[in-house]
Amino acid sequence: MEKTLKKENFNSLITGLKDQGYRTIAPKKDNNLVTLDEVQSADEIHLDHVQTNNSIKEYFLPKTEKILSYTLEKNKVSIEEPEGFAVKSVVFGSRPCDAASLPIMDKVFNWDCSDKFWVERREAITIVTIACDKCDNYCFCTSVGLAPDSKEGSDVLLTKISDDEYLVETVTEKGEGLIKGLETVFSDPVAGTPDRQVASVEKKFEIDKIKPWLDENFAHKIWAEFSMKCISCGACTFVCPTCHCFDIVDECTMSKGDRVKNWDGCQFKMFTLHTSGHNPRSTQDQRWRQRIMHKFKYYVEKFDNILCVGCGRCSRVCPADMNISEMLEIIATEENQKE
Amino acid sequence: MIEALRKKAEELLRSNTVDVIYGYGEGSTPERTRPVFITKPEDVNKLIWNKYCVYNLTTYLKRQESRKLGKPAIVVKGCDAKTIVVLIKESQIKREDVYILGVTCNGVGEPLATKCKACDVNTPRIYDDLIGEKIENKEIPFDERYAELDEYEKLSEKEKWDFWQKQFAKCIKCYACSSICPLCFCDRCIVDKNQPQWIDPSAHPRGNLSWNVTRAYHLAGRCINCEECQRVCPADIPLNLLNKKLAKETEKNFNYRSGYNIDDELAMATYKEDDNQDFIK
Repeated sequence: MEKTLKKENFNSLITGLKDQGYRTIAPKKDNNLVTLDEVQSADEIHLDHVQTNNSIKEYFLPKTEKILSYTLEKNKVSIEEPEGFAVKSVVFGSRPCDAASLPIMDKVFNWDCSDKFWVERREAITIVTIACDKCDNYCFCTSVGLAPDSKEGSDVLLTKISDDEYLVETVTEKGEGLIKGLETVFSDPVAGTPDRQVASVEKKFEIDKIKPWLDENFAHKIWAEFSMKCISCGACTFVCPTCHCFDIVDECTMSKGDRVKNWDGCQFKMFTLHTSGHNPRSTQDQRWRQRIMHKFKYYVEKFDNILCVGCGRCSRVCPADMNISEMLEIIATEENQKE
Repeated sequence: MIEALRKKAEELLRSNTVDVIYGYGEGSTPERTRPVFITKPEDVNKLIWNKYCVYNLTTYLKRQESRKLGKPAIVVKGCDAKTIVVLIKESQIKREDVYILGVTCNGVGEPLATKCKACDVNTPRIYDDLIGEKIENKEIPFDERYAELDEYEKLSEKEKWDFWQKQFAKCIKCYACSSICPLCFCDRCIVDKNQPQWIDPSAHPRGNLSWNVTRAYHLAGRCINCEECQRVCPADIPLNLLNKKLAKETEKNFNYRSGYNIDDELAMATYKEDDNQDFIK
C-alpha cells in the first residue's frame, strides 16, 4: 500500500498512535546528541540528523533488565518472572540500517532457545523507518548489501519526496494495520513518479572479498597493527545495533535477589577471563580480531547473515578513531591483490 | 612545526634513543586525528600536528600492547605533560622510561575544548625537547581556572542531585571514560572485582551512580584535567565537571595542583607526622 504523509500531520500521527495505546519512540535532540527516545508530541521529533547516537537495539535488548527475582526461605525458593516488559510501541523515524538489524538478530535470539524478552518485544513494536536523505563518511550500508532506503526489518518505510512530504510504503501486514488504523492522517499519492530524496552512500568495499580473507588470515599481522590504538572500552559494541552479547549477574542479599541481564562486549579484557586466571583473548589484537570475525565470518557461517548493517556508529564514537570500514577496505584490497 | 617534529622523531628513531614515537596522525575525517605508533624512521611523515590533536597520548603508557613496542617518545601538549609528572610521582614509570616531545599549543578542538579556556601550560612544564616557538605561560588566578564550575556551584544540593541523576541515567557502562584515562591504570578496576561485587555492573541508577562517583573519587587530587573522559563519553555526560570540582577542592584544602610541579608531594598519597589535617592523626 502506498500513501503520502505531510510533515504537518506528524502530530496527528503521534496523537493517533497514543489514542490507540502506542508509546512512540523517535529521534529527539538532547544537548549535543540525537537519541531514539520516547516522545509525547511531534514537536520533540528531530529529523535533521544522519544517525541517532543510540541504536534501535536498546528497545529490544535494553542495556540492563531484570530477568527474574527470587527469594530464599529455608529450603524453599520462589521465583517471580517479570511482566509487562513488552510495551506496545512504534519506533518512528529510525534509519533503514537500524531496522535491518532486527531480522539479523532474530536469528540468534530464536536459535537454540527462543528469548522471550526479544521475541515478545519484536511482536509488540512496529517499525516506521525514514529513508536517509543524507549520510556521512562513516556510513557504509551499501557495502554490506543494504541501502539508505532498504526495507529490511521495517513495517513501514517513509521516503522524503519534498521538504514537507513523505511517501509512505507499507512493508508488512503489521505496517498495513498501523496505517489503516490512522487513515485520516495519510493522503493518497498523486499520479506520477515521486521525487524520492535518498542519500547516495559510497560503496567502499566488495563484501564478497571479506570472508575468504578472514578464512585464511587468523594470524595476520594486521590485527595487531590496526588495533594498537584501541583502548579496550565497550563503546563500539554498545552503540552497535547488531552486537548482542550480554552478561547475567545476580544482585542479591542472603535471602533475595534479582537476576539481571546486562550488555557485555568482546573488547573488554574481562570478557573472556576464565576462573582459572587464563584468558584466551588477553591482548587487544585478539579482541579486535574477534569483533571482525564474529561479524563477517562466524555469524555468516552460523546464520548466513553478516552481523553488520553499515550504520557507522562504532567508528563515529570510537575514542581512538578505529574505523571499521577502513579495516574492511584494507581486507578487500588484500584479497584482491591475492587474485 | 610539523617538519621540526618529524625531523626530531626521525633522529630519535635513527639514533635508537627510543623504539617508538606515540604521536598524532591523520584521522577518519579532516576534523579528526588519531594516535599513531611510529617505529620506522621512514614513517615519520605520518606524524601531524594541528588543532584537532586533542588526545592525551600518555594513556598508551599503561597499555601492554604499546609498551611492548619498547621505549617511547611521546608527543605531549602542556596539559598531557602533567600526566607524566603524576605517573612518575605515583611510581608507574621512571623519568628515563619516556622521552617527552613537548609541543607548544594554543588550544585544541573545534570549538575550543573547555580545558583550553584557562590554559596556563601552553608550553609544557616538563620535556626533553620542545617543538614549536616557546609561549610564555600565563599565571591564571584560582577563580578563573575553575570558572566552568560557577554555574554548577550555584545549584542547590537537590538541584545538583537531580542534575547528576539525569546525567548518569544516560551512562551505558562502556567504561570508555576509564579506558581512556591515563591515570586509571589499575590492572583490575574495582568494577571488575566481583567477589564481592563492590559496584553493580548494571547500567541502572544505583550501578551508574556508584560507578561514576567511584571513578571521579579515585581521581581526586590526581586528575590533571585533560578532559579525555568527557571527550570520549558516547553518552555525552559532562564527567569533567566532577573531576574539576574535586581538583578545586584539593587545591583549596591542600594547595596542591596535580602534575603541576614535579617536586610537590602528592596530595592523597603522602604521610606526614606533622600533617596539618587533624583527622589523619
